[in-house]
Amino acid sequence: MAKHLRLYLRLIGVQLRGQLQYRTAFLMDALATAVLTMVGFGSLAMIFQRFENLGGWSLGEVAFLFGMVEFSFGTMDMLFSGFDPQHFGQQVRRGSLDQLLLRPLPITLQVLGSKFVLRRVGRIVQGALILLLGILASDVGWSVGKLLYLPIVLMSLVSFFGGLFVLGATLTFWTVESVEVTNIFTYGGSEMMSYPMHIYDEWIRRFFTFVIPAIFLNYYPALYFLDKPDPFDLPPSTSFLAPLVGFGTLVLALKVWDVGLRHYQSTGS
Amino acid sequence: MSSIITVSGLHKHFSVPKRRAGLWGTLKALARPEMTVVRAVDGISFTIQPGELVGYLGPNGAGKSTTLKMLTGLLVPSEGEVWVNGQVPWRERERYVASIGAVFGQRTTLWWDLPVVESLELLQHIYDIPAARFRDNLAQFRALLDMDSFLDTPVRSLSLGQRMRADLCAALLHDPVLLFLDEPTIGLDVVAKERIRQFIQHVNSEHGTTVLLTTHDLSDVEKLCNRVMIIDQGRLLFGGGLPHLMERFGGNRELVVDFAEEYPAVDVEGAAVVARDGLRVTYQFARQEITASALIGRLSARYRIQDLAVREPEIEATIRRIYEEKLLESP
Ligand SMILES: Nc1ncnc2c1ncn2[C@@H]1O[C@H](COP(=O)(O)OP(=O)(O)OP(=O)(O)O)[C@@H](O)[C@H]1O
Ligand SMILES: [Mg+2]
Repeated sequence: MAKHLRLYLRLIGVQLRGQLQYRTAFLMDALATAVLTMVGFGSLAMIFQRFENLGGWSLGEVAFLFGMVEFSFGTMDMLFSGFDPQHFGQQVRRGSLDQLLLRPLPITLQVLGSKFVLRRVGRIVQGALILLLGILASDVGWSVGKLLYLPIVLMSLVSFFGGLFVLGATLTFWTVESVEVTNIFTYGGSEMMSYPMHIYDEWIRRFFTFVIPAIFLNYYPALYFLDKPDPFDLPPSTSFLAPLVGFGTLVLALKVWDVGLRHYQSTGS
Repeated sequence: MSSIITVSGLHKHFSVPKRRAGLWGTLKALARPEMTVVRAVDGISFTIQPGELVGYLGPNGAGKSTTLKMLTGLLVPSEGEVWVNGQVPWRERERYVASIGAVFGQRTTLWWDLPVVESLELLQHIYDIPAARFRDNLAQFRALLDMDSFLDTPVRSLSLGQRMRADLCAALLHDPVLLFLDEPTIGLDVVAKERIRQFIQHVNSEHGTTVLLTTHDLSDVEKLCNRVMIIDQGRLLFGGGLPHLMERFGGNRELVVDFAEEYPAVDVEGAAVVARDGLRVTYQFARQEITASALIGRLSARYRIQDLAVREPEIEATIRRIYEEKLLESP
């Protein structure tokens, strides 16, 4: 285990060195990602100029939610870049996966170590800032519980998004055409998760509850942090399902991933 | 049982969706794909003893790479058994691959952005190679493969020949008992090919590494392999030594004679004239019927000869003939 962690860090180290060779490109990229996030948030702020609030949530409260999701998705996008369905699908078609299978290390570890997009730091920092802004603007009544739960929720979100990436990567074993659809769920999904779920139509909310259970990772935890009433009258403990759903999604995804790998080893594609 | 590789009744069948023309065809194919079965490997059995250096030959699409992928654990067979070094390749993958080395044609195992030497150091950690062992092996291989000039070059900037050398080195640093090579000399110039052959030879004879290699370059086979296996359409057609192969399928030898003067007829029993160009006449004769020296004796008894040469049938032509004329039709 310790050996694997050391090797993982070494593999990541290789990626970092490669990326730092192109310092200007790296800075430009990080800047671009940051600007994109800012534009996203800026348009949100414009909406607030008109409407004062969003379904009863103040700008600060939405910023809290938005920052949480941005920060986690950015972190995931950096750590799980190897599983990015688009990238991974290409690797499979090029036969690079075979090279990983020839090495005496777990495949999952090697895929994680095969790509690490450092420039996502832009999005992560931006997300963290917006989250901080949200916290300052919406006077969270901090308690020990909330302080402890915030990092847990963030990690759960990272695992959840990571699980979606792993599932998306797994699909490419069967069809590379799946990538576009997967992107709708990951990128599109995370975008929708940046806003309070009650502003959406019921069918969308149902989708994010029963199909992709995102509502337990962003909306319900946010209700707890911001002391907001639950318009859907679920038990208050719903706010604490985040770790179960987040880590559960990742574990489940890795199981499906194993099935995909077995499929790959029997079809070679 | 002393074999290091035992393959019995090995099959690999791929299902490929049939392509259909037009939008309607694509939609139909999506809804209810019709599959064609490709029998890439179709019932192959063989054994390889420790220390052998075996060439695995066959025309394009014969199933060579597919076999190698099963032997290295990349692919799971549809049917049949494989034991390599006491293990089943696709079970306990991590343990198995630690004991073998493999280089697949044009693909590199190394890290694109890293200088060669750092890629190799990374492999040291991945394979858990003791430092002293690593140092010795690296020193030896870099000398044999003449790698000094590009050890600090990033892998992406290497020439094909340099990259192949680096990959071979990488595949052997952990002292594997077996080495699988899929077209190790593809695309290389004569000098690079020769160096790689010498290296493979060295590893086989000095380290006792068992080697199975595929190639389309029969000089590889001629210079390296004590045994060849020929496959076509997923079936094993021939397994045995090269001399044996040539004896069976090598066809006729040729004798090229430059006569000292013009003769109206230059016939001789035991050989047939296949070409005549001024004073130069080419005869063909079968080794089972007459020896070269007997033939030369008969000729020189009758005619004045300026010069002569015996030509052995080329391996390349022989094997091509085997593929083309299906001399080795499997039952
Ligand atoms: N993953 C796959 N899916 C479907 N068909 C495949 C797959 N891999 C190989 N095949 C088919 O199996 C057959 C054997 O292919 P293979 O690559 O083993 O041939 P080969 O002997 O290595 O040929 P070459 O000399 O051209 O490298 C071919 O018809 C090929 O198209
Ligand atoms: Mg091949």
